[in-house]
Amino acid sequence: MTVTREELAAFADGELAGERAAQVAAAVAADPALADEVEAHRALRARLAEHYAPIAAGPVPDRLTAMLTQPQEAEVVDFAEAKERRAARRTIPRWGWIVGPALAASLALVLFLPGSGDDGAPYADPQLAAVLDSRLVAEQAPGADTRVLLSFRAQGGDVCRVFSGEGGGGIACRDQQGWRLEALGEGSAGGSTDYRMAGASDAALLARAQDMAQGPALDAAAEAEAKANGWR
Amino acid sequence: MLDLLPRLRRFAAGLAGNPADGDDLCQMSLERALANRAKWQEGTRLDSWMYRIMRNIWIDEGRAGSRRRQTFVAEEAGAGQGGEGAQEAAVELSYVDRAMQKLPDDQREAVLLVMVEGYAYKEAAEIVGCPVGTLNSRLVRGRDALMAMLGEAQ
Repeated sequence: MTVTREELAAFADGELAGERAAQVAAAVAADPALADEVEAHRALRARLAEHYAPIAAGPVPDRLTAMLTQPQEAEVVDFAEAKERRAARRTIPRWGWIVGPALAASLALVLFLPGSGDDGAPYADPQLAAVLDSRLVAEQAPGADTRVLLSFRAQGGDVCRVFSGEGGGGIACRDQQGWRLEALGEGSAGGSTDYRMAGASDAALLARAQDMAQGPALDAAAEAEAKANGWR
Repeated sequence: MLDLLPRLRRFAAGLAGNPADGDDLCQMSLERALANRAKWQEGTRLDSWMYRIMRNIWIDEGRAGSRRRQTFVAEEAGAGQGGEGAQEAAVELSYVDRAMQKLPDDQREAVLLVMVEGYAYKEAAEIVGCPVGTLNSRLVRGRDALMAMLGEAQ
């Protein structure tokens, strides 16, 4: 029986199984030259393991550990999404919308205002209501189907939220019955590649929200407090 | 991932030839892994995935510049002189480094994955992306070359 060098290495590494392992073991036992080779293979393995062991045993440089322990680094999913987040952080809390009036005028057609009559005002369906009830601006994923862009308190005192998603966007204000839809727009997909599209139709909603609001958008703490109070 | 770092540093130092370059390689690998973390499939082995990222970066880097390799040869020309007494241990260690650096990339990574990192042939072959038989023969060729070099050196 001949034993190839590959088989001999595999045998020395414990990679052979079953009958073949037994055959090679018998051949090694019968041939001192083969036994030497197995021994040399294992000795090299031990030497290499010993040689590199201090690196694994030594302290890990801080710069490497920090990459994994700093949360803002670890949260980044990919460059495009990170960029979108930065853009979102930049534009949304900045309430004074520089191009607001002009943009609102040009995009006014995107919006229609549902239920101007007292009886006909539509309300958010249960699915949307669930999102509006539960989601905080600061905590949502950038790629979520429906994103809440911001929350604000309207001049009448209601808490209102601007949302946007593939199924459409709008402004919903919380009253006794639920989330009353004050404005509806085309909305925008949540994917990062559609961000520029999102900017255009969301801008109309944001401009409309600006008209309705009695102050600046709620910051994260105020929004969390409003949520705790049932958005009233 | 934090638990993996010491092993990743070891593998990186083995590929790159020294701990300093190894840590640079490690940093690049972590950056790429973090940027692509969505691509890691839950339930698959994180360590294999990380090793694969690292060796891919190293292979790409190696193709980009063989400068590193040349620096090493220059260094080696000066070795072999001196190396008495207390220096002996350090010199012996660097024999291993130098011998490893002379191996072709594919043999070196096979030797590192199996003989240092302790991966089974099948796992190592998956990391490298080659058949198990190929991995086995690269390992044997790398091992034989190492033995010849280290045998001479002693």
